[in-house]
Amino acid sequence: MKVITAYCNLRADECLVNGEVVSRRDAGSDDSWFKQIYKQQELAYPKFYKMDVLSQAGYLASELIKRATPGISETYADDEIALVFANASSSAETDRRFIQSYEGGGSPSPSLFVYTLPNIVLGEIAILNKWYGENMFAVLPKFVPGFYLDYGGILFASGSRALLGGWLEVTAGGTDVLLFMVEEQESGMEFNEANLLHLSQRVAAY
Amino acid sequence: MDSLKEDLKKQIIEQLNLEDLTVADIADDALLFNDQGLGLDSIDALELIVLLEKYHGIQLTNPEEGKEAFKSIDTMAAYIRKRKEA
Repeated sequence: MKVITAYCNLRADECLVNGEVVSRRDAGSDDSWFKQIYKQQELAYPKFYKMDVLSQAGYLASELIKRATPGISETYADDEIALVFANASSSAETDRRFIQSYEGGGSPSPSLFVYTLPNIVLGEIAILNKWYGENMFAVLPKFVPGFYLDYGGILFASGSRALLGGWLEVTAGGTDVLLFMVEEQESGMEFNEANLLHLSQRVAAY
Repeated sequence: MDSLKEDLKKQIIEQLNLEDLTVADIADDALLFNDQGLGLDSIDALELIVLLEKYHGIQLTNPEEGKEAFKSIDTMAAYIRKRKEA
């Protein structure tokens, strides 16, 4: 059966992997919350600093999921891991920043412009990992498990053997990120509506 | 510290919207277009050309010069000094 083998939640102040807090925001730090996670987790990928917040969130969560599923890249061929992401606000935060780059009398910023599509995060993850499987980024009103289940079913029936799913909502109003890896295994947390809903609402256990 | 190099780092952070980086995060000899350095790409090269003109009044029209000049902060500073002396 298809099971969720690892998942990562990014919240406003906490980063969790499989339900366990791995990073906590230091309110006194000058660093952004995502940079704090990057440093605390001792990640090394300088391109992180160029990314917009959506890509940073996707990069961080996917790296932490890879750590939680060692050997994932070796287990599958480069076109067997599908990426299926969604959010509600598309790339609105970066769109606003891009507009600001020229409305104030300056010139449009090419480095911001390249992130004014939400699916760029998929490209960042695909390039880094050399994962060349199917990918899709949907803009939906809210987190809907059926989207991942239905589209995942199509992908699994057409050659994909694993799926990295994601809800990446990063706005000025908050951070709500869930990434999860789905694989074929004999037992584990089944890839179904109830479990996806549960994980999307997951908060840290104190 | 070489003030030109420090200024260049600040200008790169500003021009390329690298708010998460600080001057201290960028080594003088770090390769700007290498994944182990700053990981810049062709779009960023355009930004660096704009930066040279905007902050230093230097127009870079020869792509071969750009390849050499944009290797690192060290080479950018050397290129600016050379052009200003010419």
